[in-house]
Amino acid sequence: MIDPVILQQGSDWRAQAEVFDEIFFIFLALGTLVGTIVVAYTLWNVYKYRDDGSEPKEDFDAPVVGELPTGQGGPKAKKLFLSFGLSAIVVISLVVYAYGILLYVEEGPDTADESDIEILVEGYQFGWEYEYPNGHTTTGEMVVPADHRVNLDVTSRDVWHNFGSSELRIKSDAIPGETSEVWFSVSSEEVEAQGGEATYRVECFELCGAGHSAMTGQITVLPQDEWEEWYAGTQSENTSNIETTSAGNAPSVDNAIIRGAPT
Amino acid sequence: MSELPPTTSVKRWLVTTNHKDIGILYTITALFFLLFGGVLALLIRVQLWEPTSQILSGLAYNEAVTAHGLIMVFWFLSPFAFGFANYFVPLQIGADDLAFPRLNALSYWMYLFSGVLLSISFFQGGTLSAGWTIYAPLNVPMYTPSIGSTGAILALAMFTIGVTASSINFLVSIHHSRAEGMGIMDMPMFTWSILATVWMMLFAFAALLAAGLILASDRVLGSVYFSATEGGSLLWGHLFWFFGHPEVYIVFFPALGAMLELFQTFSGRRLVGRKWVIISICLVSVQSFLVWMHHMFLTTINLEIKTLMMATTIGISLPFDLIVFSLIYTLIKGRIQFTTPFLFAFGALLLFILGGITGVFLGAIVLDYEFRGTYWVVAHFHYVMFGGATALIGAAYYWFPKITGKMYDELLGKIHFILFFIGFNAVYFSMFLAWETPRRVFEYNPELQIYHQFGTIGAFVLGFSFFIMFYNFAKSYVSGEPAGDNPWDYSRTAEWAISSPPPLENWPNRPSYASGKLEFVKDYVPDGGPAVKTDANGNGTTDGGDTHSEHIKKYPYWDKHPSHASIWPLALSLAVGVLFLGLTGFRDNVVFELGESLTSTGVTISNPVYPILIVIGLVGLIWTGVKWGLEDFYAPPTEFAERWPFDGVEKVKLGMWFFIASDVIVFGAFLSAAIFVRYNAGWRTWEPLTEALPGLINTFVLITSSFTVILALVAARRKSRKGLLASLGATILLGFTFLAIKMWEWNKEIFERGVTISANAHGDPIQASIYYVTTGLHGIHVVIGLVIAIFLFIRAYQGHYLDDERPIEYFGLYWHFVDIVWVFIFPLFYLF
Repeated sequence: MIDPVILQQGSDWRAQAEVFDEIFFIFLALGTLVGTIVVAYTLWNVYKYRDDGSEPKEDFDAPVVGELPTGQGGPKAKKLFLSFGLSAIVVISLVVYAYGILLYVEEGPDTADESDIEILVEGYQFGWEYEYPNGHTTTGEMVVPADHRVNLDVTSRDVWHNFGSSELRIKSDAIPGETSEVWFSVSSEEVEAQGGEATYRVECFELCGAGHSAMTGQITVLPQDEWEEWYAGTQSENTSNIETTSAGNAPSVDNAIIRGAPT
Repeated sequence: MSELPPTTSVKRWLVTTNHKDIGILYTITALFFLLFGGVLALLIRVQLWEPTSQILSGLAYNEAVTAHGLIMVFWFLSPFAFGFANYFVPLQIGADDLAFPRLNALSYWMYLFSGVLLSISFFQGGTLSAGWTIYAPLNVPMYTPSIGSTGAILALAMFTIGVTASSINFLVSIHHSRAEGMGIMDMPMFTWSILATVWMMLFAFAALLAAGLILASDRVLGSVYFSATEGGSLLWGHLFWFFGHPEVYIVFFPALGAMLELFQTFSGRRLVGRKWVIISICLVSVQSFLVWMHHMFLTTINLEIKTLMMATTIGISLPFDLIVFSLIYTLIKGRIQFTTPFLFAFGALLLFILGGITGVFLGAIVLDYEFRGTYWVVAHFHYVMFGGATALIGAAYYWFPKITGKMYDELLGKIHFILFFIGFNAVYFSMFLAWETPRRVFEYNPELQIYHQFGTIGAFVLGFSFFIMFYNFAKSYVSGEPAGDNPWDYSRTAEWAISSPPPLENWPNRPSYASGKLEFVKDYVPDGGPAVKTDANGNGTTDGGDTHSEHIKKYPYWDKHPSHASIWPLALSLAVGVLFLGLTGFRDNVVFELGESLTSTGVTISNPVYPILIVIGLVGLIWTGVKWGLEDFYAPPTEFAERWPFDGVEKVKLGMWFFIASDVIVFGAFLSAAIFVRYNAGWRTWEPLTEALPGLINTFVLITSSFTVILALVAARRKSRKGLLASLGATILLGFTFLAIKMWEWNKEIFERGVTISANAHGDPIQASIYYVTTGLHGIHVVIGLVIAIFLFIRAYQGHYLDDERPIEYFGLYWHFVDIVWVFIFPLFYLF
């Protein structure tokens, strides 16, 4: 019997998109609030203290040409530090909060490691190639099962690319000679909501040459059983490939299923 | 020295070294590049009208995006700001001119000709198409093969050389020529912002110069730095962003300085917390060098470093908080006049607030992960950089009456502002709404089309608004109302105390703040009359007991008039431009076939134009350099000046120290690159390519030559011509010995061991590249030193330097520096 929702066994599991939306909303709300207050306050004061042609007030001490500059002190300076302190508190607390979430995003949800799917993503001018644990490769479309954590090892075979999907809120630099990591996961509820097959647009987010604009791809998420069927089908066409390249640890169907899809 | 022709003569503008003339040249040239970059921006916006538009091909679109970025950041924003800096910093500090007028002209002409090079690159098979960030390895010829790509890189390198010269000039001027009584904390805020800018420029542009030189070496000579998988891509990222983040503040600070001036002038209030604003500016300048990796959060740098960079990034936003609140509180209880300059400065503050808040989003790493490479970033930096430049447009209106003596049309100015502000927000705010679009992409998600169309309309409104400004300025210059010396009610700074436009040598008499306010002091009256003081409003007082007038009689300056004209800055820059243009096509048209030895090596030249240009450029460079050195150009140091913290340092010496400081960064970048790549390749997997012995001998040769330079200085001080010639001659001989050993070593490497700049028979090719390029850069420094030493030798033979040994001393500083660099190179390339 397949454990239906492995990832949701952990109580704190959340998709990247969900995490992003929360933190983005909080920043947006606070940013808008602070921005509106500051801009409104400024506009109001600029209107209030406009030069309307009336006689200057007695305490208005107009500067003259050739004076050595001095600042204004007094109550305004106190206000300056108060405002500065308040804004510093807002900014620092936002970032501390965001940092806590960063640690989660970096680590990813705690899962039984053997249920993770490891896929090697290699960017090239102009497309993406995905290599599955059994050595099978696809280009353009990545096919993964729902309810599993998918770990991507992203690199490039020519220039600097950036692998990203806005809808999944994932992104990773693809740098020749370097491998960077990113994870994502889609729940089976989401797959069902999209009609049994969820698709996400992949784009390149780093200028990589004449075909950069068209360097798109797709992530397709299938229900687990359908994915297993698809994955088993990739085995036969890869057999020869595997024997010549990595005979030592050629994954069998069982092996792939154990690593990729526990039954 | 030649006479300065009148302003109506074309020749005037080719030979002038006067800071106000050069300021005007900078401003007009920068506005031309604004149009150039603006047209490219409109091309981009037209392409974005539809999600699958194909008006430009993919490559042409990339070229437009790249050139737009490069032109706006390098050839518009900073030069526009430095037009005003040239014109007004000397006026604000009470100087007659910048410290080195010819060097200032050189910076301008390097800027202009680098822009010409960039423009030519469009016709050399297409300009660079790798984005203004020029990420590796898209920046190497394998992926961007056009000659024009190399042209754009060399244009950038040439621009950078001009900027470095300019930074040194402003640093010496501001630290060496402030009027008596103007302490460093007393400087007007615009000057303060320029001082912070040039300090950052000195180091940041040195890093860019190093990155540009390494890239030029990859593209012209065939080294393999940025295509190496041993960290080549990340190396570019580090070098570029070490420059790139300070660059944000380099671009923004002059605009901030304009805001700080204009807010005070048009509210009649002095700056709130002035001291703390200055401290904030200094803090930001230092911190700006500690945040660069926040541009690389998605690369493979580890979490600890990311966390550190996040903390420093948030840290750098705090001083800006304080500055913004200070600007706002300054206005309170003022008498705010809604003139065009104020509207632009105030608009800049509002735009900067939005740019700043959206920047906090990017500082949070989780959000940055998603915003990286999207239009959120594009929108944010346009709000910050172009939003800042909005204040500079205000500055243009503010200082227009001073520069031309005529008043601009206020109504047209306000219409310009309204259209500008609407267009600005339409184009850039829509980018926030369309933020999921990847940067530099024209086939985007169709759901976002509405925002992009809105943005395109805004871009045209924004572009159109500038034509109102051009019309306004042209019309007002021809037939505007006379503005008078000081058209503003609450201006404070010294430029408003003199006529509009100011006279060639700026001041009626020596400006002084010794009494706490600006006065013009007549120190020395030829007919023996009393010294006279005139305050900023023209009221005169006589002052019989001025000790300064006694003091100044000891100096023989008064019988010699300062020079204001020289053709050599233009000629030298032209020579560099020709040389660089030749270098662009070097690799494609000159092919070497390695034989058994140097004599059997074949050279095939497919297009002789480029090699010929190189030869003309090199000969021209040496010829104009010598003419420059021989020209009798008199630029006296300011006699009474505030010089903290460089009291007692002569101005040329100070300039030499600043140059060496910047060169330390250049070499530091080269050596860091060597260490970074070697670390990535596995430190212990590399053995030195060469034997240690020739390097050891060369170390002794150079150290000995440092000693002989000191002997030369001692001989010059003792007025011994023979001793001077002998020690200089020994230095030159030792220099040539060093080069000869180097040549022998390279010859052996190339022909016996098969190690060339792009191939290595004994290991990683990148190791060979690093060896040749790093020691080659040092070798070029030795060659330049030898050229100067030979020049000094000939002059010494003619009997110079016995009365004034300073040129020997300053050459010695340079030569010691080159020797010290070798002490770092030797262990890294010969021992370990």
